[in-house]
Amino acid sequence: MKNLLLTAVLIMAACGLSYGVFYTASRDPKAVREALADRDAMAWLRSDFKLTDAQFAAIKRLHEDYHVECSAHCAAILDAREHHAPAPEIARLEEVCERSMTEHFKKVAALMSPEEGPRYLAVVLPKVADYDHHGAPSLQVRP
Amino acid sequence: MKSTDSPKSLQNTLTNWQVNPTREPAFRGLVWQKIAERRDDAAWIGFLRTHAIPAGGLLALALVVGAWSGHWQARAQAQEQRDALVTDYVHSLDARAMLVQR
Repeated sequence: MKNLLLTAVLIMAACGLSYGVFYTASRDPKAVREALADRDAMAWLRSDFKLTDAQFAAIKRLHEDYHVECSAHCAAILDAREHHAPAPEIARLEEVCERSMTEHFKKVAALMSPEEGPRYLAVVLPKVADYDHHGAPSLQVRP
Repeated sequence: MKSTDSPKSLQNTLTNWQVNPTREPAFRGLVWQKIAERRDDAAWIGFLRTHAIPAGGLLALALVVGAWSGHWQARAQAQEQRDALVTDYVHSLDARAMLVQR
């Protein structure tokens, strides 16, 4: 009985050790983990997509420029809603917004390395497309 | 040998040398305990030898299960965090999401 118990303990210890080794080895690199934990999108972009300083600076600038454009889209959609514009008009504005956002993400991807760019697009573009599939949250805003 | 005193000195030392061991009342018990421990170790090794196939199989299974669950847990955790961050990131650039936040 004692032998059986010892063997069981050994096997369980081996299982725990194996779990620990593979858990540690399968985690993201430290910088990515920290960015994810802090929910810092720019730090995540930099670490996860292995951006150089030049790439990071260019992407940051692109994001800042896009924020201006994005605010304009936002204002246009809000204005259309407040003036009770027809639904097709609002849908058109939202489509313009989505298209420009997709273009922006493609520009960002183009600044990345050839391996990381497509990976970035594969991560972000489904979120842009998903937005409409989740019951169009923008419809919640009513004047 | 340069010094003629050396053999005599050694002889004196040996004559005066007395060993006074401290008494260890539990000596006998400790000896038997050590014997028993060795016997247990040998018995366990013997047990493993006689059950090598099931023990080895279970060990291999435990290693595989541990490895798979460790890998899966790490990836699932990372994926969950990444998913939340990507959603925030995309929404921060999405005019439609900005309207929801207003």
